[in-house]
Amino acid sequence: MIKVSNLKKSFGTNEVLKNINAEIQPQEVVVVIGPSGSGKSTFLRCLNLLESVTDGHVYIEGVDLTDKSVNINKVRQNVGMVFQQFNLFPHKTVIENIVMAPVKVKKVDDEVALQKGLDLLRKVGLEDKADAYPDSLSGGQKQRVAIARALAMEPKIMLFDEPTSALDPEMVGEVLEVMKQLAKEGMTMVVVTHEMGFAREVGDRVIFMDGGYIVEENVPEELFTNPQQERTKSFLSKVL
Amino acid sequence: MKKLSLLSFLLVFSMLLAACGTSDQNNGSDEGASEEKKTLRVVTDAAYAPFEYMDGDKIVGFDVDFVNAVAKEAGYEADIVHVGWEPVFVEIEDKIADFAVSAITINDERKESYDFSHAYFLSTNKILVPEGSDIKSAADLKDKVVAVQNGTTGQEAIESVLGENNPNIKKFENTVLAIMELKGGGADAVVADNTVVEEYAKNNPDDKFVVVEDPDAFAAEYYGLMFPKDSELKAEINEAINTIYENGTYAEIYKEWFGSEPDLEDLKAQQ
Amino acid sequence: MDFRFDLIMDYAPLFLKGTLLTLGLSLAGIAIGTALGLAIGLGKMVKNKWLSLPFDLYITFFRGTPLFVQILLIHFGLVPLFTGKTEPVTAAILALSLNAAAYIAEIFRAGIQSIDKGQMEAARTLGMTHVQAMRHVILPQAFKRMIPPLGNEFIVLIKESSLAAVIAAPEIMYWGRAMQGQYFKVWEPYITVAVIYLVITLSLSFLLNRLERRLSTE
Repeated sequence: MIKVSNLKKSFGTNEVLKNINAEIQPQEVVVVIGPSGSGKSTFLRCLNLLESVTDGHVYIEGVDLTDKSVNINKVRQNVGMVFQQFNLFPHKTVIENIVMAPVKVKKVDDEVALQKGLDLLRKVGLEDKADAYPDSLSGGQKQRVAIARALAMEPKIMLFDEPTSALDPEMVGEVLEVMKQLAKEGMTMVVVTHEMGFAREVGDRVIFMDGGYIVEENVPEELFTNPQQERTKSFLSKVL
Repeated sequence: MKKLSLLSFLLVFSMLLAACGTSDQNNGSDEGASEEKKTLRVVTDAAYAPFEYMDGDKIVGFDVDFVNAVAKEAGYEADIVHVGWEPVFVEIEDKIADFAVSAITINDERKESYDFSHAYFLSTNKILVPEGSDIKSAADLKDKVVAVQNGTTGQEAIESVLGENNPNIKKFENTVLAIMELKGGGADAVVADNTVVEEYAKNNPDDKFVVVEDPDAFAAEYYGLMFPKDSELKAEINEAINTIYENGTYAEIYKEWFGSEPDLEDLKAQQ
Repeated sequence: MDFRFDLIMDYAPLFLKGTLLTLGLSLAGIAIGTALGLAIGLGKMVKNKWLSLPFDLYITFFRGTPLFVQILLIHFGLVPLFTGKTEPVTAAILALSLNAAAYIAEIFRAGIQSIDKGQMEAARTLGMTHVQAMRHVILPQAFKRMIPPLGNEFIVLIKESSLAAVIAAPEIMYWGRAMQGQYFKVWEPYITVAVIYLVITLSLSFLLNRLERRLSTE
């Protein structure tokens, strides 16, 4: 579903991604871990071209994102993203946040979008907050709304950029629950996170990145209990 | 979009306000505009009593009555508009106005860029000073601070004594401001047309100003209506001026404003 | 000192007319300036340097020269070019609008750029085009932030409109000078004029505060 070949990304003279090759299958849940500065967020953001690609290719369902003629807006309708800082639209209510894209981008009928939106809110446990404004919500609630908003576009792939890093510890659980549920339903997910518990429980595969390279990748049980590379061992010893 | 309708409402509203606020700045024939008569745009600096000045929002003065009479005689309506002193010259130069009346002295320098009608008024520059001042002649103005109206023959007159660009010469936008500078003590004297300073001294006895003359230093000058160069209107206006000299209309207006008979022979001799 | 209130009363109807014109000039200036300023602000933000250059030059000129000069240029140069004669009110509205637009363009640019980058990112990842994101997410939020500086610009325009007196637009200041010219008095006309401006600007500040407070609690 997602294929990355020889991806290189530099910011000016700073080479952040040095040579990334990866493949993500449909319905796979891939968790990306690594120290700060390893390039994992940048890697994620290259998957929907929030960051431009300096060299190499990124294919989403066969479409080469680096092709100049590609309609990136169309591609993004199929790739949802959840941000560390939520990025909800503060001037709109929760339900308005959710229906905006389907209505404006996919021209979905207002009533249909509204129903779908309420269903999604119910799914993440927040249907009573439909008419609230984002700034009245807790962090955990905001992130759940953000997930519902991304799901409203019915994407085939969901990208999560450290979705719980900005949350108070007691709220991390409620967000991870939603993500677990999503994985169970068969969503293809790429998750950058520090939550090793989630990686172990839900991940089909874990990728460890460091210094702009993919150092090691394996199924969670293997990677966590039997890391092969020195750097992996060193990182895990610090976080586990 | 809410924003657009709010903006357009503001626009319409402000246009209405602007229309209300613009009063009739002009003074011309008050009889309704008749179809046949063409209206002439006549510009002036209405800050020069008794020639042209503002009475509330009306422009009045000797020049106003004179121009109205001349225009009528020539078969036109005159729309006299106050634009300020320097703008008068700009509008004539750019041919935006038909002619200007503003106690403008005819001199060779101005003749290079503009055309003038026949002379219609004799004037001399005189000096306005506080009572008891030791200034008794033009020569006494040396080393004194003198206020004038920018670009007038009053300025030229004092420059002939103090020299051009002497920092002691304070140039103001109009004569009113120059006189106020004198009142405020920022100047020792004002040099301007005799009628203006005499009128002021007479009307403001509390200020205790006196008028000093020096006919040797400050020669006689003549006012003319100022036209753009090569104006075709000039001939018609000149004819009209002579007509009102002959038929007594001019004398009537002159007597009304100055209380004496004009020296028509002297004026006609300048033609 | 003998303060001649009676002279002020004589001129009261003229001051009233002048006040109406001042308000009209400023309202027109802010209305046109806002519409124009938005266009210019957006134009300046275009990535292509050649396309954004004219907008940049416009802002540089109108912010880098005194309004006084702009009024004179527009009144004596620009307006007669199109109408063949001088029109003080038109020239004043034009000058105030063009001047305000340059400052408002910067207000817009600052407002738009003050919106967190994440907002644009979220909108784009949902599949919105740049234009859709601007229209539905960025601009609505930016507008709210622009209200205070826009309100300030309006108050500035009220005061700056006094310069139109020099081209004989009959606003408040014009009548103040006329009164000075007619009676040779300084205090009566100018204190009156100052009080009028003060009343206007204070009222506007008060309304602006109310508006800001209402918007922030939304």
